[in-house]
Amino acid sequence: MTEQIAIRGLRKQFPKVLAVAGIDLSVASGEVFGLLGPNGAGKTTTLEMIEGLTRPDAGEIVISGLTWERNAREIRARIGVQLQATSLYNKITPREALDLFGGYYPKRRGTEELLDLVQLRDKADAYHVTLSGGQAQRLALALALVNDPEVVFLDEPTAGLDPQGRRSLWEVVRAMKAEGRTIVLTTHYMDEAEALCDRLAILDHGKILRSGTPAELIAGLGIPSVVELTFEGTSPDPADFAARLGTAVEARGDIWEIPTPDPKTLLPRLFSVIETTQLEYNQVHVRRATLEDVFLQLTGRSLRE
Amino acid sequence: MNLPNPFKLLWLQFRSEWRLYARDRGAMFWTFLFPLLMLFGFGVIFRSGGPPALTLVRIAPAQETARDRAFLQALENSRLKVVTLSAADAEQRWAKGETTAQLESAGDGYRLRLNSYLIAQGQVVALAASQAFMVAQARLKGLPEPERIPVVVESPGHVHSENYAAFLVPGLIGLNLLSMGLFAVGMVTVAYREKGKFRRLAVTPLPKWVFLLAQILQRVTVVILQTALLLLAARFGFGIVNQGSYAVFAGLVIFGTATFLAMGFALSSFASTVETYGAISNLAFFPLMLLSGVYFRIDNAPQWMQKVVFVLPLAPYLRALRAVFNDGATLAGHGTGMAIIGVWAMLSFVLAVKRFRWV
Ligand SMILES: Nc1ncnc2c1ncn2[C@@H]1O[C@H](COP(=O)(O)OP(=O)(O)OP(=O)(O)O)[C@@H](O)[C@H]1O
Ligand SMILES: [Mg+2]
Repeated sequence: MTEQIAIRGLRKQFPKVLAVAGIDLSVASGEVFGLLGPNGAGKTTTLEMIEGLTRPDAGEIVISGLTWERNAREIRARIGVQLQATSLYNKITPREALDLFGGYYPKRRGTEELLDLVQLRDKADAYHVTLSGGQAQRLALALALVNDPEVVFLDEPTAGLDPQGRRSLWEVVRAMKAEGRTIVLTTHYMDEAEALCDRLAILDHGKILRSGTPAELIAGLGIPSVVELTFEGTSPDPADFAARLGTAVEARGDIWEIPTPDPKTLLPRLFSVIETTQLEYNQVHVRRATLEDVFLQLTGRSLRE
Repeated sequence: MNLPNPFKLLWLQFRSEWRLYARDRGAMFWTFLFPLLMLFGFGVIFRSGGPPALTLVRIAPAQETARDRAFLQALENSRLKVVTLSAADAEQRWAKGETTAQLESAGDGYRLRLNSYLIAQGQVVALAASQAFMVAQARLKGLPEPERIPVVVESPGHVHSENYAAFLVPGLIGLNLLSMGLFAVGMVTVAYREKGKFRRLAVTPLPKWVFLLAQILQRVTVVILQTALLLLAARFGFGIVNQGSYAVFAGLVIFGTATFLAMGFALSSFASTVETYGAISNLAFFPLMLLSGVYFRIDNAPQWMQKVVFVLPLAPYLRALRAVFNDGATLAGHGTGMAIIGVWAMLSFVLAVKRFRWV
C-alpha cells in the first residue's frame, strides 16, 4: 500500500493553548483513518493544518507527494473537505451550491448524482437557511465530494444527525472507500470509529496516545472483558466494594464497570462480595471491551464528557 | 492539472453574487427602492425650492371690521395660506403643535404668536404677515402700496432654480456610495469571515483574487444601476438633467466608488464580529450622512464643525458632484476637495490591503 498522507512533527501553539503538540501520522491510500478524542483534543486543528487552512508552527505535511509550500492549488483541487462548521450563503440552494463549487475544480461529479448520494433531491431547490441541521450537514458532505477527490477530510460528519442519518452517512463513507478514496475523519463516537475506520489514532491534549486498528487497540488493553453492574438511579460509591473485591471498579452514572482479563474467575468472587455487602443492584452484564474502554484507560476520562 | 480558466470562474462567481444579492429583499430595498423613495418623497414635498406653502392660522374676529377684511385680503395676496378658525378650534390646533404662527386680535390691534418649535418658518410667516399688514394699511388709507422687491430662487450655476430634487440627486448618489462601502462591502466581509464562508472557499482551488474581484465587480454594477435609476427618475420625474460633462460626472462616480469600496474593506479589518462592525459602521455612517450635506447644507453649524466635516470624504465629494451635475462646472475649483478624497482613498486602500484577513 502506498502512503497517501505523511505527517511528521506537526505542532500548533495558539496564544493560550498548545493545541497540537507534535504529531506523526501516516495514512495509506484507500484507507479510512479516524481521529478520536474528546472536546479540545486538537482534532480539528490537526485536520485544518493538513487541509492548508491553519499554518502549523512546525512539522511536515505531504499529501499525495505534494506539499503546501509548493503545490497548494493542486492539493486543493485533489482534496475534499467538510469543515466542522460549514457556513454557506443563506439563499443558495443545494443544487446551485453544488454547481457553483463544482465549477471551481478541474474534475467534477454531477450535481444530480451527488444529490442522490446524500439524499437531498427533494430539498435540491430549497434555500440553505431553510435546511435542517442534518440536511445542511449532508449538503456539506456532498460539497466535499464535488471534485471527485482522492482524499476526503470529514470533521465530525455525523454531528447533529439522527441515528438513521448516521447510518446512511456510514454507507456513503463505505461507498467512498469502495471507490478507492482515502478518508480521514474525526468523531466522538467510538461505535462509529469501530464501524468505519481501518485505523485510528486516539488524541488528547494535542498528542497521539495510541494508534492502530480498532482490534489492535482493544487487544492492547489486555482486558478483553468488562463486567457491568447497573443500579436504580445513581450508583453508590464503589471504594469499599473495590477493596473487598481486590480489583478496580469505575462508577459511571448508574453503572459500575469492572474491567477484567478473566471473567470466569472474577464472577464467583463478585457474587460472594455482593452477598456479604448486601449490595442492592439491578442487573449484571458481561461485555467485550470497546474503544471507549481503551480511551478510559488511556486518559482516565470518558470520550464524551 | 488544468484548473478552470480564472476568467470563466470570475464570470461564474460574479453571476452567483448577483443572484444571491437579488434574492436579498433588504438589500434590494435599501439599494434600489430607498433612494427613489427619498427622491420622490422629498422632491415632491419641497418641489418649489423653499419650504412648503406656509400656513397662518387666523382667529376669526368677533365682528369683522373693514380693517380685518383688508388685512385678510392682503394676506391672501401674499404667499401665505390663511386658515381662519374659531378661538376654540385654533387653541386645539395650537395645543397639538400643528400651528406655526397664529394671528389674534389684541386690544384694537393684532398680535402674532409663533410656535417656538417651528421658529424658522414662524419668522418667515411673521415677515410676510407684517408686509401684508402694511399693504392693507396703505390700501385703507388710499396711499400707494409699498412696493415689493421681486425674489428669484436660483442655484449657484443659475439652473434648476426652483427644485430641491436637483439638490437631492447628487446627495443620494453620494449616500448610495457610502452605504455600498460601509454595508454591502464592509458588513458582508465581516459576516463572511465570522460565519466561516471564507474558510470554506479557502479549501477550494478558487483563487482569492477571483472571489474578491467578482464581489467588487458586483458592487460596481450595483452602483452603476443605482446611479442610472436615479438619473432616469430625476429626468422623468423632475426634468432634471446633468448640466456638466458626462465624462467628468462618470469619472467622479468611479472615483467615489473606488474610495468607498476601499473604506469598506479597510473598516472591515477592524472588527471580528458583525455586532462590533455594526457599531463601528453606524458610528461612521450617521455623522457622515447627516453632516456632509446629503439632504441639506449645514451652513448654520459652527465654523469648526464645517471645517471638520469638509476633511471627511463625503462633504467635498458632494460639493464637487453638485457643482458638476447642478451647475455644469468643471473640477477646476475643487482641487482641495479632490485631494482630501484622494488621501482617504489611498489611506483606505493601504489599510485594506495590509490588514485584510480571510479568517
Ligand atoms: N483559533 C483558535 N484560537 C485559539 N485557540 C484555539 C483556536 N482553535 C482551537 N483552539 C484551541 O485549541 C484546542 C484544540 O481545539 P480543536 O478545535 O482542535 O479541538 P477538537 O479536538 O476539534 O475539539 P472538538 O471535539 O470540540 O471539535 C482547544 O483548546 C481550543 O480551545
Ligand atoms: Mg473539532
